[in-house]
Amino acid sequence: MEKYEKLEKVGEGTYGKVYKAQDKVTGQLVALKKTRLEMDEEGVPPTALREVSLLQMLSQSIYVVRLLCVEHIEKNGKPLLYLVFEYLDTDLKKFIDTYRRGPKPRPLEPSTIQSYMFQLCKGVAHCHSHGVLHRDLKPQNLLVDKERGILKIADLGLGRAFTVPLKSYTHEIVTLWYRAPEVLLGITHYSTGVDMWSVGCIFAEMVRRQALFPGDSELQQLLHIFKMLGTPTEEQWPGVTSLRDWHEYPKWRPNNLAAAVHSLNPEGVDLLSKMLQYDPANRISAKAALDHPYFDTLDKSQY
Amino acid sequence: MAANFWTSSHSKQLLDQEEVDTVQPADKDKGITLDDLRVVKLHMTNHIARLAQQVKVRQRVIATAVAYFRRVYTRRSMTEYDPCLVAPTCLYLASKAEESTVPAKLLVFWLKKLYADDRYKFEIRDILEMEMKLLEALDYYLVIYHPYRALTPLLQDAGMTDLTVPALSLVNDTYKMDLILIYPPYMISLACIYIASVLKDKDTNSWFEELRVDMNVIKNISMEILDFYDNYKLPTEERVNAAMNKLAVKT
Repeated sequence: MEKYEKLEKVGEGTYGKVYKAQDKVTGQLVALKKTRLEMDEEGVPPTALREVSLLQMLSQSIYVVRLLCVEHIEKNGKPLLYLVFEYLDTDLKKFIDTYRRGPKPRPLEPSTIQSYMFQLCKGVAHCHSHGVLHRDLKPQNLLVDKERGILKIADLGLGRAFTVPLKSYTHEIVTLWYRAPEVLLGITHYSTGVDMWSVGCIFAEMVRRQALFPGDSELQQLLHIFKMLGTPTEEQWPGVTSLRDWHEYPKWRPNNLAAAVHSLNPEGVDLLSKMLQYDPANRISAKAALDHPYFDTLDKSQY
Repeated sequence: MAANFWTSSHSKQLLDQEEVDTVQPADKDKGITLDDLRVVKLHMTNHIARLAQQVKVRQRVIATAVAYFRRVYTRRSMTEYDPCLVAPTCLYLASKAEESTVPAKLLVFWLKKLYADDRYKFEIRDILEMEMKLLEALDYYLVIYHPYRALTPLLQDAGMTDLTVPALSLVNDTYKMDLILIYPPYMISLACIYIASVLKDKDTNSWFEELRVDMNVIKNISMEILDFYDNYKLPTEERVNAAMNKLAVKT
């Protein structure tokens, strides 16, 4: 690890601390993630192994943060793995914040939102085509290079291959605000739709500069969603009332989604509504989203 | 582990036959020939399968372990990476990657029980140390696609599910060769279906035509498999030891 000079701690990832560092020879900036390798009788933890190999596979897309290499070192006789990622200067949360606060609050340019959404859908489509769910998509996990207008998916720490048959995953995963209703309602077999819901929430948040459904408990989160989109019915979402955590809720009627994202054009509202479909089976896929008319005005040749 | 072969690291890591058939310089110095290399790989493939039977893992884990083992020696020498240790460690690593971890101590136990020869016996810490070395040798690419996945849907499509058993055993046997390092897995599945259909006297020509795959590749793979069967014999203990003893010589 003498190759790198640690510059500052930039956060706590799923694995452990994350440092901004610099390659002493090339000057390249990198993000270093130390894995908590509790090496005991069983060597490298299988979770770490799977995650590293998934990252290694997925980071071949330019829309996923690039894993440059893995460094294995011995520290006090204990093995440690460092994941060396490319460094991007900010994330989407901080990026949106600069438009909301700061000296000159203003909306994000529609073309920026469109471009970031396209890149996000590209990245998600890439993960899904490899059988990997991200499961924790949120603005903090999307790294942004604002000079070059590039967005990349990061922190696949919770990502997991969905081999067939799908297994039951644990519930306490996605940050509440971006959590899909089926997860909140205790569905046991969830799929790519959970990521697409999060993508929809992020889309709306870029337009609004604030979260669409800022719940602070699971129940609150559901109520936020129901108040906006209407309480789901069996017709809309077959089986919803049999989900584990379904209760009798007040029967709200859908609000006008367009009003919540009033600066978004009609194509954008249509795409957003397709991402926020209640029935996961009806939710648009990342791949299909790329062909949605909302992106018709985008010059796709540069992606 | 994942769904799309074509964009996977596995597809980008496919090798040519010549690359697979290269004896590493350090091994060459010890007099190891290509035939020695093949004998050791075949012997260790069987060794992995034998060990796997004892610790009860799925066929897929065995296949992944063998693919790791064969891939390692396209990049590293047997002189530096003792095959007797690499084989169980590949099984250990594959069991983790395929989400059915086998405890290292169980492997150590069976190694001691199955083999009289000290060469095959290791301690837990040997396996853990080799695990780290293998991760580097494999460059942390652990996702391997196998011909098994495509087999069932292909047979269903062809309406020949009665060929499942022979086709499956053919696929299992392909791991005694290096095919998994060289060809896309579904091509291997198709070659196995092709051979199985010929053996069972089924006409599959029109089905294969409709698939629009490169039949030359399928036939080449089939020929390799048939050649292998023609020449296959379990390497004798003497033959294996002769190769292994070359490695043991201090230079």
